[in-house]
Amino acid sequence: MAGIYVHIPFCKSKCRYCDFTSFPDKIGFAESYMTCVYREMKMRGAELKDKKFDTLYIGGGTPSVIDESYIAMLIAAAKKYFVLSADAEITIEMNPGTVSRKKIETYLKNGVNRFSVGLQTAIDSQLEDLGRYHTLNQFVTCAGMLRGENFNVDVMIGLKGQTLDDISKTIDVASSFGASHISMYALTPEDGTPIYSDYLNGELPDGDEVAEMYSFGVKKLKELGFERYEVSNFAKSGRQSRHNLNYWRRGEYIGIGVSASSFINGVRFTNTFNLDEYFKCILTNRFPVIDSAEIDLQGAKEETIMLSLRTCEGLDIDKFNGQFNADFLSDYSAPLKKNESFLEIISGRLRVKDEYLFVQNTIICDFFS
Amino acid sequence: MKQPSKYIRNFCIIAHIDHGKSTLADRLMEMTGQVSKRDMQEQLLDSMDIERERGITIKLTPVRMFYDADDGNEYVFNLIDTPGHVDFTYEVSRSLAACEGAILIVDASQGIEAQTLANVYLAIENDLEILPVINKIDLPSARPDEAKKEIEDVIGLDASYAPLISAKEGTNIKDVLESVVKYFPAPQGDEDAPLKALIFDSYYDNYKGVILFVRLKDGKVNVGDRITTFRSDKIYEVTEVGVFAPRLMIKDGLYAGEVGYIAASIKSIQDVAVGDTVINADDRADQPLPGYKKVQSVVFCGIYPLDGSKFNDLKDALMKLQLNDASLVFEPDNSQALGFGFRCGFLGLLHMEIMQERLEREFNLDIITTAPSVSYKVVKTDGEVVFVDNPSHLPEPSYISYMEEPIVHADIYSPPDYLGQIMDLCRDKRGVFGQMTYLEENRVKLEYRLPLNEIIFDFFDKIKSRTRGYASFDYELVGYEKSRLVKLDILLNGEVCDALSMIVHEDSAYARGRMLCENLKEAIPRQLFEIPVQAAIGGKIIARETVKAVRKDVLAKCYGGDITRKKKLLEKQKEGKKRMRSIGSVEVPSEVFMEILKTNKD
Repeated sequence: MAGIYVHIPFCKSKCRYCDFTSFPDKIGFAESYMTCVYREMKMRGAELKDKKFDTLYIGGGTPSVIDESYIAMLIAAAKKYFVLSADAEITIEMNPGTVSRKKIETYLKNGVNRFSVGLQTAIDSQLEDLGRYHTLNQFVTCAGMLRGENFNVDVMIGLKGQTLDDISKTIDVASSFGASHISMYALTPEDGTPIYSDYLNGELPDGDEVAEMYSFGVKKLKELGFERYEVSNFAKSGRQSRHNLNYWRRGEYIGIGVSASSFINGVRFTNTFNLDEYFKCILTNRFPVIDSAEIDLQGAKEETIMLSLRTCEGLDIDKFNGQFNADFLSDYSAPLKKNESFLEIISGRLRVKDEYLFVQNTIICDFFS
Repeated sequence: MKQPSKYIRNFCIIAHIDHGKSTLADRLMEMTGQVSKRDMQEQLLDSMDIERERGITIKLTPVRMFYDADDGNEYVFNLIDTPGHVDFTYEVSRSLAACEGAILIVDASQGIEAQTLANVYLAIENDLEILPVINKIDLPSARPDEAKKEIEDVIGLDASYAPLISAKEGTNIKDVLESVVKYFPAPQGDEDAPLKALIFDSYYDNYKGVILFVRLKDGKVNVGDRITTFRSDKIYEVTEVGVFAPRLMIKDGLYAGEVGYIAASIKSIQDVAVGDTVINADDRADQPLPGYKKVQSVVFCGIYPLDGSKFNDLKDALMKLQLNDASLVFEPDNSQALGFGFRCGFLGLLHMEIMQERLEREFNLDIITTAPSVSYKVVKTDGEVVFVDNPSHLPEPSYISYMEEPIVHADIYSPPDYLGQIMDLCRDKRGVFGQMTYLEENRVKLEYRLPLNEIIFDFFDKIKSRTRGYASFDYELVGYEKSRLVKLDILLNGEVCDALSMIVHEDSAYARGRMLCENLKEAIPRQLFEIPVQAAIGGKIIARETVKAVRKDVLAKCYGGDITRKKKLLEKQKEGKKRMRSIGSVEVPSEVFMEILKTNKD
């Protein structure tokens, strides 16, 4: 399993909580940018001829904000330069305020088979508060166009003034319009984003309230047939995101575009966050990598634990032992003992008990050196 | 017999904590050309970071100066700085023994403070000549005549000749220098007699070994001399002698009357106790100089390394600190909660805080300290008497016949406006009122008998805050008194945490237990399970709080680009955990052990 991630750093406007790399004022650069993206894919593809890829994820930013023909060419380039399996999962992220029937038709025609729609909340005043430039109605229109398709809806909890009813309504909307997958995230106020000041002023729900929202949401999703498979991800049977599962299984992936990260041959690296720098590198046939680190054995073990304990499938103990020539149960006897009431081992897999998934950090830390 | 040079003056400065001692010392050095203004680091004498930050002097630091006096002669001044805080009276007595004179600085706007008085009396007891100096005359609130009158009324010194100065502005500093020449006697002694040098301080130098700070009373010492001390049987060859300029400056020899240092490749700190007398091994003097009275620890606490494997580092650090500060005592101790560490004795609460800070800063140690305690006298049912300063060593109640606690006589000096507040505080602290004396219209002395364990926590801070800083306070131990004392235990998740136990008066036990539980509830981070925090006396629970379980501790998203960054966040959280101690199943940050110090807000 390996994945390709392509970052489209353009947006109509910046959401108040966003700390991703996106340039709302630079849509005019889309053409040059995409040209560079195809070129970077060509450069990377030449290096990774022996790798087989199973997923392509087009994220952002807002990939749906740029002309759909760029997406068509992007998918074509991926198929041309990489060994992409025939049944690859191809996902594109969309903002409900930027879609049209024509765009969706083009995506489908060119092989997109999974969509991810950022709804966040079904309450218009909260959307406005988050700085989203769409309304619930626009989501309804968008979801109507996706009827019958495999699509995810993003839902946020921990918003200013949000009630359990609001969350219930949001999940109901997503579910009733046919979502096969729901990602339910707690808003994380990152330093440097406008929403951080809401946090500093105590306007956001506290940890206990967010925990309340989360368990409420988990219960609600379960009733509607969405099974949790990772802390924040819920899917109808067989509809888990293969691309994201690959991250948590510590699979390899190549990131294309500004700020994209990769993990190939035991090395994690990240592209520049600076658009000009990105152009310069690609136009001079250099990889725009700014940060690169080989993960040592200890780091690999810790990553495996940290990532797999996020998931409900948990950590495969035999696989761990084989991969790292280790004896997991004895090497980690101290943290296992200390956290025995929060963990369970079922058919050779270690997992965080359901009721402790939302407080997993403190458990995972104990497994770090 | 050869008299020491009559052009030497050895003196110290006595002053209240913020009356300008270090500033005056800096001025004297500047005026004598000892230090150029440009090179001067603010307040040269206070060389430890802690001293400069807190604006106090802890260690005595000597410095030598040359002064061309109006009489046409050049004089050598040896100034030995003294600590001002009541905790460090012991250090003061050491520097006084090395001097013939003392400059008494009095703030022109505030008059004499209680702590200063204690040191003045010490100086008088040591037969020192005292030169009053009225400082801060530049302040609008200065009232130098009243300050002079106070000196005459309270101490009985003639203050008519006291220089009126502003150390800050550099006004009339020359008067001080001339007065030193005029009023302080030259040292007495005999240069031809066998060597007798008082060790008044020492520190350890990695290259030279122990550096002894000495005042030569008789004789001389040169490089190559074989020396020993009265209390030691080891003989050392002198490798270096010199003076303080203010950094060490090598000289050929030191002579009677002088203040300087001796290095003799002394490796063992036990052999060179401060207060001992250095003598020549080949020409032994027959009588030691009067030393210092052995200091008595008043406050005790446990000090443990945060990381149990650093026990030896902590031991080394304590030994090095003890080398400069003989008043620090420690012995190995063992706590169920904290593992191996040391039980340490201090001169007072400030002394304790400073030692903790030095361990952390100068030795880079992460330490956990337990609540301070005093030494209780326990009379057991079989008649045996034991002294207990560690609550966890207290015998079972059924073996105790009765207990006694140390009592102090406290003098509190304050403007009369705050008498009510002070009396309230003393009553809260189980004080017994003695008498009240009007020292002058604006200054009252209150005398109280107080249990020492009531004043080691926050008494000083409370006195200061209730009197807006005007009152000052001094105390001395007067003995032990029978008292109804109990051991208060704290249980975390059902288990007694011995490091949090304390001995308190029966009447305040309930309130103390209640407050401790409340404070601990705030200080202990929420964990994955609910933690009961209980206070108990002899197995009976008297108060309870609950630390709720944490409900959210998760990274919302973790996709391709997040993995490295999110892992760093977890590593940081792990580092935080490493700074905690596991008490049973509960992880407790080291600061928690100081929570026990906090009392209700004032």
